[in-house]
Amino acid sequence: MHKENSSISNFRKYVVNILLPVLIMVGVMAAAFCFLFEKYIILSNNNCGAYKINRIINLNDPYEIPIIGSSRAEASFIPEILGPNYFNYGLEGTQENVMLFFIDQECKKKNKRSPVIIANIDLDGINTKTGDIANYLYNSGNADVKKLLGDNYKLQYSIPFVKYVGQFENYLRYYLNNRMQLTKYSKDGAFIDKTVLPQKMIDDLIEYRRTHQDVFLHEESLKKEFFKTLNDNKDRYFVFVVPPYHSCYFTNYKNPEDAKAFLNELKTLSNVRVFDFSGIRYPDSLFINTTHLNFAGATRFTKEFKDSLATVKIANFK
Amino acid sequence: MLFNSFEFLYFFIVVTALYFFLPHKIRWILLLAASCFFYMFFKPEYILILAFTIVIDYYAGIFIEQQTEKRKKKKYLIMSLIANIGVLAVFKYYNFINGNITGLCNLLGFQNTIPYLHIVLPIGLSFHTFQAMSYTIEVYRGKQKAEKHFGIYSLYVMFYPQLVAGPIERPQNILPQLHKENKFSFDNALLGSNLIIIGLLKKMVVADRLAVYVNQVYHNLDTSTTLSAWMAAIFFSLQIYCDFSGYSDIARGTAKFMGYDLMLNFDRPYLSKSVTEFWTRWHISLSSWFKDYLYISLGGNRVSKLKWCRNILIVFLISGLWHGANVTFIIWGALHGVYVLMESVLPKITGQSPIIKLFGQLKVFFLVTVAWVFFRAANIDEALHMIRLMFSADFSLNLTQLAAGKGPFNLALTFLVIGFLMLAYFLPRDMQFKNIKTNITFLTATLFLLFILSKDAQGEFIYFQF
Repeated sequence: MHKENSSISNFRKYVVNILLPVLIMVGVMAAAFCFLFEKYIILSNNNCGAYKINRIINLNDPYEIPIIGSSRAEASFIPEILGPNYFNYGLEGTQENVMLFFIDQECKKKNKRSPVIIANIDLDGINTKTGDIANYLYNSGNADVKKLLGDNYKLQYSIPFVKYVGQFENYLRYYLNNRMQLTKYSKDGAFIDKTVLPQKMIDDLIEYRRTHQDVFLHEESLKKEFFKTLNDNKDRYFVFVVPPYHSCYFTNYKNPEDAKAFLNELKTLSNVRVFDFSGIRYPDSLFINTTHLNFAGATRFTKEFKDSLATVKIANFK
Repeated sequence: MLFNSFEFLYFFIVVTALYFFLPHKIRWILLLAASCFFYMFFKPEYILILAFTIVIDYYAGIFIEQQTEKRKKKKYLIMSLIANIGVLAVFKYYNFINGNITGLCNLLGFQNTIPYLHIVLPIGLSFHTFQAMSYTIEVYRGKQKAEKHFGIYSLYVMFYPQLVAGPIERPQNILPQLHKENKFSFDNALLGSNLIIIGLLKKMVVADRLAVYVNQVYHNLDTSTTLSAWMAAIFFSLQIYCDFSGYSDIARGTAKFMGYDLMLNFDRPYLSKSVTEFWTRWHISLSSWFKDYLYISLGGNRVSKLKWCRNILIVFLISGLWHGANVTFIIWGALHGVYVLMESVLPKITGQSPIIKLFGQLKVFFLVTVAWVFFRAANIDEALHMIRLMFSADFSLNLTQLAAGKGPFNLALTFLVIGFLMLAYFLPRDMQFKNIKTNITFLTATLFLLFILSKDAQGEFIYFQF
């Protein structure tokens, strides 16, 4: 009996004198830190993935024309060239499952003046890749975000503050890049490298493509969902774009006919327009690697795309 | 299950709570089940290897004790050692030896037809086999009674805090503790918390941060300069210290929470003034294992100078080989052996002046850092490339190269965490603070640093691979 009492009193002493004070103090400090961090770092920085996810869920601008897709969208489209209402929602490291999430969120908005949604298509098929978890943490309580993350959703993501452990650096890096604009162009969601690569590095990247095979391959269930979403949203007009690749990308490309067939399949939909720039050859100096343009490349491409976009003649879009 | 994961946090809370809730008689069942779960979290089937050595060593211990003739005792000891070393040989060294045979055959114009094994090294294999061996050796030497309780013996080998990366315990220290009834103690919980938190800081804030730069340089040696190579080498010295001693701290803290004392494994090794002293402060449980069971068995220093040199070299070469089946580890061990021998030959600079002390510490840090290059490199070519870079004179100050392509922000954070590591040297050596307020301040500040500066990678501990 005596032992039990001693254990309990020791436990109580530990909880009251150590555990609670420490947890309360850390909790208060963490809460204050997170509040300031969310307000001044995450939400004030429009090139950050977390900002983009929050924006697509919560911002309802009837005039906004979203540009969605992977890092190739993020690094190819410069909204300020296209016009005042464009915003680049491109997210690095993501693929079509995330694109569908963005389309779903966008299509939920019922007061849109412009029906157009611009999306990039990568020539590696319709696949699942959710990207950096840091993009989703601010909205980790959102049911659609939880569904998107699926098995990647961990218990700690539902704990306030704790969910950010290990991620602050990510947000701060984006924030600093946005503020300083030393090596990146960062505006309206676009996040593009300004660097012009030395020829030696370009040559190495070209060599890499020569020795690695790229292939166009779908996840069939996701492809079905993709077409279903397009068909279910006939009140929207989807402009799918394949931004330029470095020519070496196709040196060892296994099945260009499948990629072409997919683009043709998209073209059969009445609410879809496809612009394929993959055949356009840009010089080496306009690429940061063999699949992404640099700022000079993105500027040239966006201007050319703007001309193409002018051929889209639908109601409420000019 | 990694100590630096949320899974472990949940596991630790549940197991510790249940431990104090259950009566002493059945606590061993809880700890054994928890240890099995902990181990099987990595690769479930490898628990069979552990079970195999546990059964062999358990009975070997009993049989050794029962025999009156030394010859028969020795027979059972040898059987036990063969079983343990055999497991190590198959899982850790077979492919390495086979690879060398292939190289030799190629040299002589033959073809090696011995097949390679497609197996993954069981996690922490070298640690638990060494711990198991220390039990049978101690029973053989008559310094430890054979453990009759199979569950307690299994727990001696499998106790989850030190199962996969030590400290490599001795039966005299841990077996009596496993029999003793522990109650929740404020002092144990406080010290346990301090050790766990400082261990997590070392691992998640310092080691994982340094790893970013180090990995980047080692993966891109062609674009590195002398400065970045030296920075990577120095960072690795700090990374491996924080990674491994961080693990040991968490292990000791976790055990301490339940009332168990695990041995101190690191005692501020980079403050050593000689390499010999370094080895009394670095991975103490392994170096003392080699000292007690190998060095002394070979005759220690009670032999001729020449034989002593041989003994030192054998111990360090085997210590290198213990770390991994790769020539780089053998060279790392050999270098340390040579350092120790050189120290015994060269005249000693003695004195209490801070400058002499600092000189000694810098000398040790330099020598150890050069040796770590072989430890870190994936192969001998990579190590030599790194060494060439470090001793060339390419002092170009290109920011991209200096930051190893990871950006100045990462480099700034790296120096920041090194600053925290330096500050940690001012903490009490035994992590016991003079008053509760200071302790609360330490825990709060460290937890907050962990909160904002941890890396998200949940990187594995380097020593798991051994």
